[in-house]
Amino acid sequence: MSNYILKFSRDERVKYISHLDFVRLFHRTVRRTDLQFMFSQGFNPHPIMTVAQPLSVGVTADGEYMKVGFDGDYSEEKIKDTLNKNLPLGYEIKAVKQVFAKEIDLTKIDRAIYTVEVETKDDFDINSFMENKELIVPKKTKSGIKDSDIRPHIFELEKVDKTDNSIILKMTVSAGSQYNLKPETVIEAIKKYEGADMGFIKIHRNALLQGNKDFLL
Amino acid sequence: MITQRDKILAAVEKPTRYTGGELNAVLKDPNSVDVRFGFCFPDTYEIAMSHLGLKILYHVLNKREDTFCERVFAPWVDMQEQLKKHDMKLFALETGDEITHFDMLGFTLQYELSYSNIVRMLMDAGIPVRAKDRDETYPIICGGGPCAYNAEPIAEIFDFFQLGEGEDMMNEVVSEYVKWKKSGKKNKKDYLEAIARYDGIYVPSFYDVTYNSDGTVEKIVPNNENAKPKIRKRIMADFDTAYTPNSIVVPFGDVVHDRVMLEIMRGCMRGCRFCQAGYIYRPLRERKSETLLNLAEDLLSCSGYDEISLSSLSSSDYSGLRDLTDGLLDMTEKKKIGLSLPSLRIDNFSIDLMNRVQAVRKSGITFAPEAGTQRLRDVINKNVTEENVLKSTSILFKGGWTNVKLYFMIGLPTETMDDVKGIAELAEKVLGEYFKIPKEERAKNINITVSTSSFVPKPFTAFQWARQDNRDMIIEKQDYLKSEIKSRRIKYNWHNNRTSYLEGVFARGDRRLCEVIIKAVEKGCQFDSWADHFKFDTWMEAFSECGIDPDFYNMREREYSEVFPWDHIDIGVTKEFLMRENEKAKAAKTTPHCREKCSGCGVASFKAGVCCE
Repeated sequence: MSNYILKFSRDERVKYISHLDFVRLFHRTVRRTDLQFMFSQGFNPHPIMTVAQPLSVGVTADGEYMKVGFDGDYSEEKIKDTLNKNLPLGYEIKAVKQVFAKEIDLTKIDRAIYTVEVETKDDFDINSFMENKELIVPKKTKSGIKDSDIRPHIFELEKVDKTDNSIILKMTVSAGSQYNLKPETVIEAIKKYEGADMGFIKIHRNALLQGNKDFLL
Repeated sequence: MITQRDKILAAVEKPTRYTGGELNAVLKDPNSVDVRFGFCFPDTYEIAMSHLGLKILYHVLNKREDTFCERVFAPWVDMQEQLKKHDMKLFALETGDEITHFDMLGFTLQYELSYSNIVRMLMDAGIPVRAKDRDETYPIICGGGPCAYNAEPIAEIFDFFQLGEGEDMMNEVVSEYVKWKKSGKKNKKDYLEAIARYDGIYVPSFYDVTYNSDGTVEKIVPNNENAKPKIRKRIMADFDTAYTPNSIVVPFGDVVHDRVMLEIMRGCMRGCRFCQAGYIYRPLRERKSETLLNLAEDLLSCSGYDEISLSSLSSSDYSGLRDLTDGLLDMTEKKKIGLSLPSLRIDNFSIDLMNRVQAVRKSGITFAPEAGTQRLRDVINKNVTEENVLKSTSILFKGGWTNVKLYFMIGLPTETMDDVKGIAELAEKVLGEYFKIPKEERAKNINITVSTSSFVPKPFTAFQWARQDNRDMIIEKQDYLKSEIKSRRIKYNWHNNRTSYLEGVFARGDRRLCEVIIKAVEKGCQFDSWADHFKFDTWMEAFSECGIDPDFYNMREREYSEVFPWDHIDIGVTKEFLMRENEKAKAAKTTPHCREKCSGCGVASFKAGVCCE
């Protein structure tokens, strides 16, 4: 068995595919190729594959990660080419790296960069927003919706562009198993603290990082 | 950039119902073709994408360089709201383009309760519902599938129907369309006259229907010299070599039948007297197992599916079943692919097979004795005996299965309360078989489910003359059966009597019902086969506003002399044969299956399949 870390993107065409549907789609994609999955043991053997930080429905992304076990020692190039020939249009494998131990540990992901477009006619001052010592907003947790201070989890927030109807923000926020901050929650805080009227939100995830470091380029 | 598409798709559940772009979906440049065809299934994506006919005809059409066939499904109510809100029209999946001015739309008519959705889809597309109100700028609209054999209730909506198997017919009507389009599309009638000359094509506007004073049909006569007095269904006589796609569209989301479907044969030789499929798809024709194994290989490797299922009306009657399943198992075991074997008769061979197929999982097994007593099973010609059922279930219980479903119909012709009671007794006897097995040899937690549907008499069956049980009678029988089922290990499920009633009205309906259907949709009816959306009272209002008594269509026994609204359609099986079968039913006499003895149903005139064995 060989383990590989795969970095992939998804665009507008496939952004509505849910995480579970993506897993099934990936299984089917591999079945169409000559690559052999490694199967789990047990009553219902299933291919060994883990997606690092499942994307929400409607979100596009440049650099997502998954770890896949293949029953064969394939070259990184071969995996990348084979999968790209067989994935539905809209998905692309950007990089493949064979791993032998925990040299790449996807559970260590702790940050994400997002580009977020929000419908709004209001303007607001990012600096004054970021000067808040705390930003308390309701946040979904495993035990229900609770108030949470998200300020420590926003590392960077900048205004990239502004039109008559929308603004485009770029943000670096906490992600991963420790604390996962969704861009929608940041927008909620802006609404609450800056009194801005915000409408439809469109999200793109630029990167998943450990600290400031990307795993694969 | 935030687009309208973003907003719409964010507001609906299951957005992948509407995005297209699935693996193996066909994309063409619409400007490079002569014909833009919309294959319409009047139900949701999940139902539509489970339908084998769509998968076949989609590729039949797209194989043509001059045609681009896209899929068009009924948008769910949340999407309908979005279309209205954004002033959009119903669109096709592949390009997202509105279908309002496509060249052709083809609806598949799978069940009567989807009629309202057809009307709703046309309204959502901004297309006039009635054929006579559509000029040459609108698409030509055709229909096919089992309900096309008596599509009179929706005849005014359609330009034409295709009767029978569409693989060749579809090509003929599209080729004629191309000719007509290139000649300037002057008059829709010219096109319809050209196709009316082909077997299987029924142009309803070329036939006049007159009625007797008692409301029955007096006669149906052609009013156009190109229209045949009798329209004969089409079949693919050589089914083994008939075109079948070696590619299959793979949905992103969950659909009802999410697997490769391997169509091993068409038609059925059993002759169950209530079963429309058993008559209209005759004669039985098989594909060679070698052909099927190659096809299975292609479909699995192009789709990546991890499950394959045999598709036919009665898999056990496939003559090369052992060879086929051996070959398939060789293929599936290697690749860890699941094989499902529906409609198998339970015997030692099939149990052995099932044990090889599902080494661990013992999912439920369904039996369909259809009736509770031997007398009634003889009436309907269901050649299953109580001994068969008990023996089979006993084998299953010994093999570790504990989930058994028993499927029956209530309201069958000649049924008495004793027959209803027989259902409960048969279920108790099946349970008895379980307890006969020593405790240490049987699996725990026996579960028996009895399901009853309500019998709906269908055209082109031996029971097409029969009166349908009224709703009160159905309820009485359901209640009686509930009271007769004593064991709490037997669960009872029954069908809604109201949907069966409406289904019965449309199944044997005539052209006068079209007005009712359109009115009901205007009043908000749609998705009638979805319990949450079925509005029975609204339907009844629509009937009364149109001055039509629905009971006329299903609450009376018909005379042999009556002219039926579908008498101008020829399925190969003769009306005389169906009369003979109806008489034998009354006498509880069975008819042997086609391989045992030919009973002269008439379909031998097609010179195909089992008729030539």
